Amino acid sequence: MKTIIALEDIYVPAPSPEEVYATTLLDREFHFKGLKKLLGAADISKAGDRTTGLAAEDEMAREAARSILSGLSLQHIFDNPLTDENGRIDDVMRAGYEIDSATFNTISTMSMGELKDYLLAASGSEITKIGKALTPVMASALTKIMDVHELVFLPRKIAKPTKARTLIGLPGSLSFRLQPNHPNDDLDAISLLVYTDLSMGMGDCLIGVNPSEGSVDNVSRILNHLDKLRRETGAPSQICVLGHVKTQLKALERGAPVEILFQSFAGTESTLTEEFDVTVEYMDRAYATMAERGPLGPTADQFMYFETGQGSEMTYRKHNGMDMTTCEALCYGLCRRYDPFMVNNATGFIGPETHLNDFELMVSTLQDHFMGKILGLPMGISPSYTLHSESHLEGQQMAVQLATAAGANFFMDVYLGCDRMLAHFVNSGHDDQTMRETYNRTPAPEFLQWAISRGIFEQSPDGKVRRGENWGNPRQFIPSDGEFQRLLECLPAAPGFDNAGPRPINNVQRILRANQAVGREAVHSGLRMSELEAFNFRVFSTSAATKTDHLRNPELGSRLSPETASLLLPENNDVQLIVADGLSAEAVHHNIEDLLPVLQDGLSSRDYSMGQPAIVPFGRVKLVEEIGDRLKSKLTILLIGERPGGDALSSRSLSAYLAFRLTDSTAQEQAANYSGNPSINYEYTLITNIYAGGLPAVEAGSVIAEKAMEILEHEAAGNRLEDLLAHQ
Amino acid sequence: MGNRANHSNNKDAVTMIGLDFGSTTSSAIVARAMVARSSASGRMTFGAPEIRYRSEPVFTPFTNGQIDEVALQKYLDQWLLEGDVIPAQLFSGGAIITGLATEAQNAARIASLVKKRVGEAIIATASDPCLESWLAFMGSCSALSRCNPDRPIINLDIGGGTTNPALGKGGNVLATGCYFIGARHFQFVPGSYTLTSTSAYGQMLMAHLGIQINVGEALSTAERDAILDFYIAMLQSIISGKATSGKDNTTASHTQVPLSVDINDPGPVVTFSGGVGELVYRYATDSPLPGTTFFGDLGIDLAVRIAQTPLLAKSITDYIPENMGRATVYGLAIHSTEISGSTLFLPREEILPLQDLPIVGKINMEEDTENIQKLLSLVARGGSGAIQIVSGEEKAKKAAILQGPFTEKHIRVKNLGQTLCKQIQTMAFPSDTPLVLLAPGNFGKSLGNYATNWRKIDQKIVVIDEICDRNAHFVNIGRIHNNIVPVSFYGVQ
Repeated sequence: MKTIIALEDIYVPAPSPEEVYATTLLDREFHFKGLKKLLGAADISKAGDRTTGLAAEDEMAREAARSILSGLSLQHIFDNPLTDENGRIDDVMRAGYEIDSATFNTISTMSMGELKDYLLAASGSEITKIGKALTPVMASALTKIMDVHELVFLPRKIAKPTKARTLIGLPGSLSFRLQPNHPNDDLDAISLLVYTDLSMGMGDCLIGVNPSEGSVDNVSRILNHLDKLRRETGAPSQICVLGHVKTQLKALERGAPVEILFQSFAGTESTLTEEFDVTVEYMDRAYATMAERGPLGPTADQFMYFETGQGSEMTYRKHNGMDMTTCEALCYGLCRRYDPFMVNNATGFIGPETHLNDFELMVSTLQDHFMGKILGLPMGISPSYTLHSESHLEGQQMAVQLATAAGANFFMDVYLGCDRMLAHFVNSGHDDQTMRETYNRTPAPEFLQWAISRGIFEQSPDGKVRRGENWGNPRQFIPSDGEFQRLLECLPAAPGFDNAGPRPINNVQRILRANQAVGREAVHSGLRMSELEAFNFRVFSTSAATKTDHLRNPELGSRLSPETASLLLPENNDVQLIVADGLSAEAVHHNIEDLLPVLQDGLSSRDYSMGQPAIVPFGRVKLVEEIGDRLKSKLTILLIGERPGGDALSSRSLSAYLAFRLTDSTAQEQAANYSGNPSINYEYTLITNIYAGGLPAVEAGSVIAEKAMEILEHEAAGNRLEDLLAHQ
Repeated sequence: MGNRANHSNNKDAVTMIGLDFGSTTSSAIVARAMVARSSASGRMTFGAPEIRYRSEPVFTPFTNGQIDEVALQKYLDQWLLEGDVIPAQLFSGGAIITGLATEAQNAARIASLVKKRVGEAIIATASDPCLESWLAFMGSCSALSRCNPDRPIINLDIGGGTTNPALGKGGNVLATGCYFIGARHFQFVPGSYTLTSTSAYGQMLMAHLGIQINVGEALSTAERDAILDFYIAMLQSIISGKATSGKDNTTASHTQVPLSVDINDPGPVVTFSGGVGELVYRYATDSPLPGTTFFGDLGIDLAVRIAQTPLLAKSITDYIPENMGRATVYGLAIHSTEISGSTLFLPREEILPLQDLPIVGKINMEEDTENIQKLLSLVARGGSGAIQIVSGEEKAKKAAILQGPFTEKHIRVKNLGQTLCKQIQTMAFPSDTPLVLLAPGNFGKSLGNYATNWRKIDQKIVVIDEICDRNAHFVNIGRIHNNIVPVSFYGVQ
């Protein structure tokens, strides 16, 4: 177990006033006020950094920043710790200063450029040693002055094996974490996903589920199920349910097999504590608890698992003026404190507000992998994308190829690459096997022996590993065809299990891509107003002037435009109906024709006063309160397109937000008491999954109308309303 | 490998029971399952059921042909205790009474006892041969059939008195039949072929074959073979789709309901269930069989002959059904009840349960007023009733990469609802008469709202949606539980 050094015992120099860094490039002068701005400008241009104004204005400015950065000494960066908005050195920054001081003293006079040149010529062990002497900000600076070949060439020399039940990260190996997520945490579906990917020789790193519901009971339930699957299949691996660390520790207290302890990390203390609800002090205690009581006991040298990814600090606007790459490096500094078994970087997961396109995704993937490796972490990578970004499968696959070449310890494995629970796209078992065969990598040694014994792999006398006769056949773990069929029916839209070499057969790929194409179209197409004329909508506009603005900056679609806002006067109706595209205009076009007439018939049957229905192109959910406040409607019903994922039908899915405005003082008081929020203004009832494969539009009209009647009758919405109805 | 999820402690899971009272044996199964929307069919279904309890089969207690009610009650109590069943908490259940158990007053007595002991959630049916065939198929071949959606499967459920065949494809039963072929038409002193009794069908067959022996005498090998030859020939005819009713009087009289098979090559997969079916698979897998006439009947001999007949045995090593001897009772527990959609139209919870509702007819979404009026009159006269709605889904679409499910259009639902509403008001449909509309798609709440002018007319109208047409005469609707209701049919045609 690693000895945790108390934060106050880690030396960090006192912050200095911000320096202005200046240079000229031919006839242009460049000035960067402070190290944060310099680091931001030196990076490639990324959506998140553009939003925060940290990205360089052009290529010349970027190269000017890189030149200045190359000339800074390590000591200079050491002596200028980056501070938070209050000028304080936060706990995450402090944790990153736990370095090998003796080694640092031997390199402190080197400039960043000299360090890069030295490392490119150094051996793996030399690089590893120097990495221990670097702070995260140094790693970030180094990354900014490296090109793609260097980001691949350098980290592939670094080996960082870690050992839990299996030993991962050995040179020549490539491991995978199964991610058998299910939108309802259906244990049978999880079973089939685990069987499928184990049959492809994946899961040697971890079998880990992201739960859709994060209670201690549910986390324990899934952990116990994974434990059962692991024992029954005999697969040498370790299990984890990626709930909050506090939930996992409660589950551990109750005896659940928390073999690996997971937590998401951020690169600023404010994000870590206010958004992720953990402190460094709490994580110190969590690490000690696992060291003492973790079920793997002395078998495991490491037992912590962290997930990170560029952009979370920026998304919460808690980046302390630092660029996304630097925040990510700081995150790794914190990870290093707990000697983790695995660190996974999920860049691209958030969406176009952090990484707009394939280029940004690919470069960030390589930067993160390099920074993690040089800082001594067992890095895995899961470049991923969402349909509302401009990243695509091809870009994601190129990022995976590059990260494999760069020596990533592990990747994710999501069934056919589509995580329906988290609505994003990532590596599949087929992608992973393709990487193993392309780059001649093998699984963890214990897992390899198990897979050979099951005919999943074969090993020739010269040590080469090939797919065996049982590769890709989940049926081998299931006792009967009937049972297999039942499990299969728990999996949404499984298009087939046939393979062509290490890839799924073409027919399966066509179905997957067709689903994605429908989802992509749903996001990027606009509302066709001429097709909606029959509804006599009035049109409201938001601050998002274009579809691009709407997708890249969620805040713009959450506010009415000044023109619309100025025109809306109190109408004091019982109900106001609003339709917005949200992230799927197609959801509107495929549902509204059958939904709205039923809803209007239902509301009319009760003689409610209703305002003229409105439609809002480029609208987001948060609009509902602004519209309700301006029109003074008692109940505002927003019908809005949901974020598409990998299923074509559900890409046309609408949600109904029934927002009840708490104007009556008694209702407000009761709502405040119920919610614990004294200033609560609205209560919400949410009806989701309105589409042909879920709640069909014609039936949804009635469901929404009846719920609206209940809300207006009881002057309550959401859980408070349901409680009132239950006690009637 | 035990890979099933455990629903034991889940508060959203429901408990179901199946009870099978047959000529020879009786048994019980208790299952627990989550109710969820199936991603395969899009309908509300029981998610992978977990069998909580399987009773050992017991001999159905008869005394001089009359059911022994005291002994039967003891068995019921034992099953409920061992199955950890609290009757009031049962979501649904089915009891089926077949063969000898239906004779004399037995069926009514058994049904009454079951109702009294197990409660209103259970639906007891007797002499419903096609339902039995359907249940046996669903209990043994449902998953197998869905797993091989392009292969037709004929399941022969062979018990003591009857063979209940069902033809299914893709998990759906397409045709059912019933034949008086079974193990116990000839009963012997166990360990010998000394006859102790013959059923009416056994006597008819002996006359047809020219066998003249009496109780107390032993059946010769040649005589036994002749009987088995007759049975095997009939079974082969059944699965080949050859007529059995017009051949001769004996064959015709052994046919209660002919199975209509219309299948081209490759021929259907043939599976077996029931007591004899279980013995077929034991023989095929070289498992030891009990000794000569161990059960005091021809079951073992019939099973061996089936396994030795190429046409009948062609699938027994490749397609193994589940539950086998318990197929019917499993089918009762799991498949006898369908689940409504979660947005049904139910003005007041106390309207349910509704039992033994006659299904008076079918209407489509664009039904003419005259027929609607006629069916409403039938319900009004009968004091209660159900009308099955046939949605008339669009015909198969052109070849497509992805296809979405059919959903109803607003205008069709509104028109049908308003027509119903108008007719109900015009004919002054009695307000205390329960009227259940069974709809195939997910539009029950909207149809009910339009049919009652958004609940402005006070009628006991219930619309249960997401219920497929089962071609049955009667339906039972259970109490609402977490927004869904159990629906079970009987009198299957």
